[in-house]
Amino acid sequence: MRIRLFLSLLAALLLGIGGAIPLQAADFPTKEVQIIVPWAAGGATDLIFRAVAASTEKYLGKAVVVINRPGGGGAVGYTEGSQAAPDGYTLVSAITPLTILPHQVKTAFTYKNFDPVVNISSDPSMFLIRHDAPWKDLKEFLDYAKKNPNMITVGNSGAGGGVHLVAVAFEKAAGVKFNHIPFPGGGPSVTALLGAHINAVSVSPPEGIPQVQAGKLKIIALFADKRLEMFPNAPTVKEQGINFAMGMWRGLAAPKGTPPDVLKKLHDAFKKGMEDPAFKKSAADMAVNVHYLGPNDFGRLMASDDSFYAQLVKEVKK
Amino acid sequence: MLESLQQLATGFGVALSPQNLFYCLAGATVGTLVGVLPGLGPIAGIALLIPVTFGLNPTSAIIMLAGIYYGAMYGGSTTSILLNVPGETASVITCIDGYKMAQKGKAGKALAICAIGSFIAGTLGIFGLVFLAPPLADAALAFGPAEYFSLMVFGFIVLSNVTGGSFLKSLMMAVVGLIIGTIGLDPVTGEGRFAFDSPSLLGGIEFVAVAIGLFGIGEVLVNAGQPAELLEQKVVMPRLLELYPSLQDLKESIFAILRGAGLGFGVGLVPGPAPVIATYASYMMEKKVSRHPEEFGQGAIKGVAGPEAANNAACQSAFIPLFAIGIPFAPPTAILLGALLIHGVTPGPLMIREHPELFWGVIASMYIGNFILLLLNLPFVPLFANILRIPKKILLPFVTLLCLTGMYSVNNSMFDVWTMILFGAVGFLLRKWAYEGAPLLLALVLGPKLEVAFRQSLMISHGSFDIFINRPISLAFLGAIFLCLLIPLVRVVYGRLRSWAATG
Repeated sequence: MRIRLFLSLLAALLLGIGGAIPLQAADFPTKEVQIIVPWAAGGATDLIFRAVAASTEKYLGKAVVVINRPGGGGAVGYTEGSQAAPDGYTLVSAITPLTILPHQVKTAFTYKNFDPVVNISSDPSMFLIRHDAPWKDLKEFLDYAKKNPNMITVGNSGAGGGVHLVAVAFEKAAGVKFNHIPFPGGGPSVTALLGAHINAVSVSPPEGIPQVQAGKLKIIALFADKRLEMFPNAPTVKEQGINFAMGMWRGLAAPKGTPPDVLKKLHDAFKKGMEDPAFKKSAADMAVNVHYLGPNDFGRLMASDDSFYAQLVKEVKK
Repeated sequence: MLESLQQLATGFGVALSPQNLFYCLAGATVGTLVGVLPGLGPIAGIALLIPVTFGLNPTSAIIMLAGIYYGAMYGGSTTSILLNVPGETASVITCIDGYKMAQKGKAGKALAICAIGSFIAGTLGIFGLVFLAPPLADAALAFGPAEYFSLMVFGFIVLSNVTGGSFLKSLMMAVVGLIIGTIGLDPVTGEGRFAFDSPSLLGGIEFVAVAIGLFGIGEVLVNAGQPAELLEQKVVMPRLLELYPSLQDLKESIFAILRGAGLGFGVGLVPGPAPVIATYASYMMEKKVSRHPEEFGQGAIKGVAGPEAANNAACQSAFIPLFAIGIPFAPPTAILLGALLIHGVTPGPLMIREHPELFWGVIASMYIGNFILLLLNLPFVPLFANILRIPKKILLPFVTLLCLTGMYSVNNSMFDVWTMILFGAVGFLLRKWAYEGAPLLLALVLGPKLEVAFRQSLMISHGSFDIFINRPISLAFLGAIFLCLLIPLVRVVYGRLRSWAATG
């Protein structure tokens, strides 16, 4: 642990020196690459990036180190990442909140401060209800919601967070109104549903998956283009006539202005890291859906989600 | 019950394999270390060691990581007692009487009673975990937002005057803690509050920074303000025989330990910072049942034994929601959940059935780990107690350095370090003017949870306050609050009446 601290201090020092020397992209990388994860160590996001970092090292030829900078719903880490030298040695884990947070609070960055490298995973959001809930299927659930607007309580993992906004977007698509209850994290919201304190919960895997597997909760609405491999019996809402799909993505981005050939090298290495059997196994174990997107597609995804959430946040704040 | 015992026997088979014994020892040792180092707590310890476990099988990995968690509860008290620096958040209360004991030359006794109390409570906690996990997990689910709110108000009323100084001053400190707790992202609307567009303030004020600042840095400053000759004379050094608790000390402490264990185990089932709350509650309880409440705050051994037992028991029962329903209630178990996931084990209602060797192996390793920790900690008592022999002019700068590096390594954040220094200055002034830091810290822990629970309850009930009365558990706590506030009043009135009657 002391060694890790020492190493990260050393890395910071090297980075400071490295910034002064003009970079030759041809021999990139000459030192370790760090990924800033703006969330605490041990969370789902942290673990995914640690796994991909571990499997990418051999393709990049240098160590890939994950550094956690939690705080402010991601603001601390993204601010630091956007101000880092654009030399390819500092990357950030770009996940959905990067396109949400700048619309909610004043931030020193938006997704435009970063160059997309690669998208690693995409997980559909979904609504869960208790196994003994009075609604058998989505139709009954929505019929009840139509007759009783604002009565169905839907938990989420934080006000203005991804799954909250997904729930708000879904009520628009379905023409209903829910009573949204924010919780500090996905765990507490699932707990409240298990204890029958709320009627449903909006989550994104891996949250809630074990409880669905155990039969305590069931998927009432799946916002995906196709069914989940793990639960082939749970239909998507698209199959049931509501054209709505929404999810959480996790990818890598570099500070704006990183040289294109460096970006390409990073992309190629991380793509191989994603295809590595070790990473595939870790992702499958965590019920994370690996989803490769190249820099252009990933950039388009960020841009479209950014304008989508800008609109949505405006409506929620009203 | 019988089946559980059989399974447990198999678990011992798993845990006693040389490889798993090694990881258990490694985890317990690392845990003790991160507990001893101020700032670094079990969360940081587990998170940093998860990558090390990638190559291990899941059982060995979890045995080691769990060892870090309960090991930290042993180590956390060490710096609280010796230096008035809480080693981790659940050891704040131990500073009060533990440090006083050390000042009176009883550092060894305090350290040893912590290890013994932790061992007894930890072992009892594991028994609870084995036999009561499923029913207790269901009971914990009965607590929704309304129940939490009433429970936390109850806790707030009962615990805010924990040190028993001026009630008005305690209340003022608690209010300051509540105010500091509102800094950061609003939990219900997601907007920034009192953040002034600073990304660091958006993240809120780090509890550990405030705790180490108020107690650790504050104490260093108070010491530094004293004349040199007074400073170096202050510590009474004990003789070797007095390093360990006497039979009398043990007799005095055993019931405190048992009460602390029971209390901690119950509180551990409540989501949130259970070990912190458990220690406050235990301290308060010991003071209430003691025949000599005036000794508390002056170095009462019960004021150390009870809370240290409580935080260990709370740490064991925190595993119940994780293992039985697959949901972590406390940050360290949240990290353990991540570790389980990365090893392909999904904690949840099916885990005990699908991975019995892991569940029972880990449980058995906890028995062994607690024993190892006792053996590990007791011999170190004389060594640690001798730290106080170091001249203050060398010790104090070293403590400051330890606080600075420890604080930085929690979140890799310089902002936290500055926060700690600021609260160090505040802690110095508070000491000068005889204000207590403990109520502030309690309010800082409870405040944000209280606010969220209150607002959630009212959102669920569409703004009706009936929700707090219509739920039986919530109503029971409200009743308890009412009694707590009424009894002192009745006493005063009754006393007045009696004296009035006596004088005719």
